[in-house]
Parts: sequence; C-alpha cells; structure tokens
Amino acid sequence: MAQQTLRPTRSVCRTDTTTTIRAAGGRSGANTGTSSTPCSVSTSSCLLVYIIYKQVVHAAPHVDLFPTENREDMLSPSTDKLTEVLEEANKLFKDVRRAREAALDAQLLVVATDLGKEKASQLFSEGSAFDPTAFAEHLLSFMGLNRLEDGDGGPQNAGAADGYLPRDAWHRLSRRVECCFRTAPSFHYMMGSFHAEPPAPKQRTERQRKAPTKEAKRIMPTQLKKMEESHQEATEKEVERILGYLKTYHQDDPTSPISYYEFVVDPNSFARTVENIFHTSFLIRDGLARMYLDSDKLPCIAPVEEGDVEAASSSSRKQCIISISPKIWKELIDTFEIKDSIIQPPEPHNE
Amino acid sequence: MTQRKRSFGSQSFSQNRRQPSSSGTQEDNEDSTFTQPSTSQVQRGLEKLTPAQVDQKTSEVIQYFLVKDQKKVPVRRADLVKHVVKDYRNIYPEIIKRAARTFEQVFGLKLVEIDPKNHTYILINNLEAADKPSPVECPANPKLGLLFVILGVTFMKGGVVRENVIWNTLKKLRVDSGEKHEEFGDVKRLVTEEFVRQRYLEYVRIPHTEPMEHEFRWGQRADMEVSKAKILEFMGQLHEQEPQIGRCWL
Repeated sequence: MAQQTLRPTRSVCRTDTTTTIRAAGGRSGANTGTSSTPCSVSTSSCLLVYIIYKQVVHAAPHVDLFPTENREDMLSPSTDKLTEVLEEANKLFKDVRRAREAALDAQLLVVATDLGKEKASQLFSEGSAFDPTAFAEHLLSFMGLNRLEDGDGGPQNAGAADGYLPRDAWHRLSRRVECCFRTAPSFHYMMGSFHAEPPAPKQRTERQRKAPTKEAKRIMPTQLKKMEESHQEATEKEVERILGYLKTYHQDDPTSPISYYEFVVDPNSFARTVENIFHTSFLIRDGLARMYLDSDKLPCIAPVEEGDVEAASSSSRKQCIISISPKIWKELIDTFEIKDSIIQPPEPHNE
Repeated sequence: MTQRKRSFGSQSFSQNRRQPSSSGTQEDNEDSTFTQPSTSQVQRGLEKLTPAQVDQKTSEVIQYFLVKDQKKVPVRRADLVKHVVKDYRNIYPEIIKRAARTFEQVFGLKLVEIDPKNHTYILINNLEAADKPSPVECPANPKLGLLFVILGVTFMKGGVVRENVIWNTLKKLRVDSGEKHEEFGDVKRLVTEEFVRQRYLEYVRIPHTEPMEHEFRWGQRADMEVSKAKILEFMGQLHEQEPQIGRCWL
C-alpha cells in the first residue's frame, strides 16, 4: 500500500497533525494483516465498505475527494473535522479487502496529509500577529498618501478609498528599500547596447558604400553643368570670332574669293586646323557663311550678307562631311603654300 | 594527480560543482552534451593553450554575464557553453574560477550558482549595501518597491503565502492585479512571470485546489540578495511612525 509520509512542518500544533501521523502509523499496523489475501468476505460487505468510504469523504464520482466547501470546513481551526474523517477512515480500513478500496484509502491519505500541512501552516501564521492590512496602511503613509478630510476630492477620486497617491509614491518606496537588496548594478555600454555581430557590420558597410556614390552623383551634375557652359561659351565665342575674321578678310577684298583651305588651315598646328574646321561648320550651319566651288573646283567660303540670310535659309541646303588627316594637312600646307593662319589661335584663358 | 599543484577547489561558490566526469548524462537536454571535465582533463587542456587565449575567453565569459545580467535573468551553463565557451569547454571549470575571481576583485560582484542541479548562475553585489539611501539622486526602479512588498509579506507570513493574501494587500496599495497599473502595467504578469523568471519569487500551484490557486515563496535570487534583517528593520521603522497601532509582532 502506498503510505504517504507527512512532510515535516514548522508548526508545533499537535492536534490534527499528530492524529494524521498516528493514522499513518495505524495504517502500517493494519497493513500487515491484509497484504494480499483474496477477498473471502461476501460481495455485499465489500460494496458497503466502498459506499461508506465515498460517503465519508463526500466524494463525487470523479477524483476530487474534497470539494471546496468541505475543504474550508476541514481547514478551519475551530473544527476537528479532518480528525474525524481520518478516524472514520481508519476504522473502515479494517474492512478493506479489495485493491480498489485500498487505492481509495491511499488517495484519502494523500489529500488528508496535504490538508493537515496546510492547517498546520495556517496555525503558525495566525500565531504571529502580522496584519497585512495594517502593513499596507503604513506603507501608504510612507509613500505620501494625501488623505483628504472633507471628501472634496472631486470626481477623479471616485475610485480611491480616501486620498490619492502622489506620482512618485513607488519611487519613494523603492529608494528606501534599495538598501535591502544586494542587487548587482546593471552593466550598460556607454556607447549603446550590445547586439550580436552579424547585423552591425553589414549596415555599416552599406552606409559607407551608399555615401560616396551619393556625393559623387551630387558632384557630377555641377561639374557637368560648368563644363557644358564653358564649352558652349567657348564654342560660341570661337564661332563669333571666326565670323569676325571672315568678314574682315572679305571686306579687305570683296571680289576675290577666299579659299576655304587657306582660311581654316593653321600651318603651325594640326589641332587648331581641326578646330577651325569645326567652328566654321557652325557658321555654315547657321547660314552665316556659305561655301561654294570656284572655277578650279576648289572650295571657297564667303560670308552671307545681312539681307541674304533669310533667303539663304529657305533655299535648299546641302550637307557634306569634311575629313582631314595630318598627311592631308601637310599636303595642303605645301600645295597652298600657307605660311600663316588667318584665324589667330585664341588666348589661353579658360582652358 | 600531477606534480603541478593547482587549487581547483572553488571556494567562492557552492561546493558541489566539482564532479569528476564519470557518467555522461546530465539533467537538461542541452546540458547532456556537456559533462564537467575532470581536473586532469582541465590541466591537459590548459597546457595546450596560451595564457592569452584563456584570458581572452575568460573576458568573453565575463562580458556575457554582465550583459545578460541587465535583465536579471539567470544564466544557464548550457547557454554559456554553447555561445561563449564553445571549444574551450574542456577547461570550463578554470574559466569559471577565473571569471568569479575577476568579478570579485574588479567589479565587486559575486558569481553564485543558485541552482546546482540545473547549473544556473546569477550575479549579486559583493559589497555591503549602504545603511541609508545613497546621497546621489539616481532614479530607483519602482518595481523594487513592489517586489519588496511581496517579499515582506511573504516573509512575515512564514515564507509561504497564498496568492490571495498578496493580491489583497496590493489592492490596498492601489495596485489591482486585474487592471492595468499606470506604473507597472500588467501587474499579474510582472509578478507571476517576470519576478519568477528572475528568481525573486516562486509561484507554485497548491495541489488539489479547484479552481487553481498558487502560493508565493521567496525565490533563489531573493534568498541570496535580500537581507531579511534589513526588511525587518524597515518594517519596524514603518510601525514606529504610527505608534498608536501598537502591534507587537516579532
């Protein structure tokens, strides 16, 4: 049979607990007699024992042997109901023959000892006069409860019994009781909290990579703008300058045609020659100059008169592509015996 | 054992730590992979490593503890071995010993094994708490006050108290477990889960009760950290404030 030994309690109560111990002791005494004898008594008496067991513990058909109402009765210090139950069960145990009844008895004993322990601890606590209510009252005073005498607290104090707690009430209490605790102070990194390794470096590298590209992009447009402007300005200026040269040259001798090659070729620099061709093409595009072939089938250039500009734009335009290489450039110089350039090279200012 | 005399007896924390590894299985599932190495194994392990490596590993363990202690949740040995110690597990006792010494000498903290069965550690303050509140105005955690109330009542009731007693006491202090408190939020969760996880309280079910009821006890951390004498002292002061309610309760 399963015997539940009573766990030692702190109490010095003797009434119910010693009864329980005696009952447990009594069990072992009775046990030796009924170890494994087959049931020889008639079925009706076994059934009777079973029914009485159930009645004694007021058991419902399921396991709960001590429903709550009876529990409070058992636990109340004024009654000896627990003792009575145990004594009744003790008596009944003599008639137990079947395993089922013995199991029930064991169950009863388990529950009874738990109850006994609780009852014992209850007795102990009631021996000390510690009243949690009074304690709570003292704490409230300490925390700075404002007790209002006249009850003119207003609508916000409808829920409070009397008075209201200041906002730092609990802080005040915590500060006072800090000394009771030997808590280790929390350790925090000054620069921030601690994360596991993987996320941090990735973020850092991403941000680093993003930053330079953004800056580079930001720099780029301004640079480009500047370049384009200067480029455009330079081109326009150049074109105007060349137009000036052309007009001057033409005015010197309006009748004789200006050879194109003599006009653009710079005997000192091939690059200048190419630039001159480039700028001259703008003049022709804008209709400020025109090219034509003379009797020798050599290209000539002449400025367009002011009045003829509109007429020229309406007439059919022809396109051609001019290519030049250093070899051709040299040949041109030799053939036409160009000594100086008509178009003076520009001063190096914003280059 | 060997010629070199090394004191592996760890006096700073509980005695039953040094168990030579004979059987393999431990209590927890994760812990079952880790067996406490024997003294000779530790010595052999130490010989293979440079002092700098051992110091480095000890520092990592210390940092792990310090950061985990922010939440006041105990550190399990299994986690420590899995995340920090890793390959150095064969010299685990030596690492712990050095870490405990560093905590004492450098930080003024004590590394305590509160659960010898499950091998969990906490850090507590090794220095004696000042008699009066510190003159520095540092903000106190209000949860400490709440915890104090519960521990105080539990202590005065003999170390075990039914949860109803606590809830009623708190209700008198305008802390209702059913409602959201403006300072503490969900009080029930704070008390029954957070404080229990931090091992300040134990919240155990009372058997054979329908509906289910629980009782509160002091937790393992509270046993180490909280001074019962100081609690009594404060209670005495409280009662002195209102001498007309003369209850003799010691």
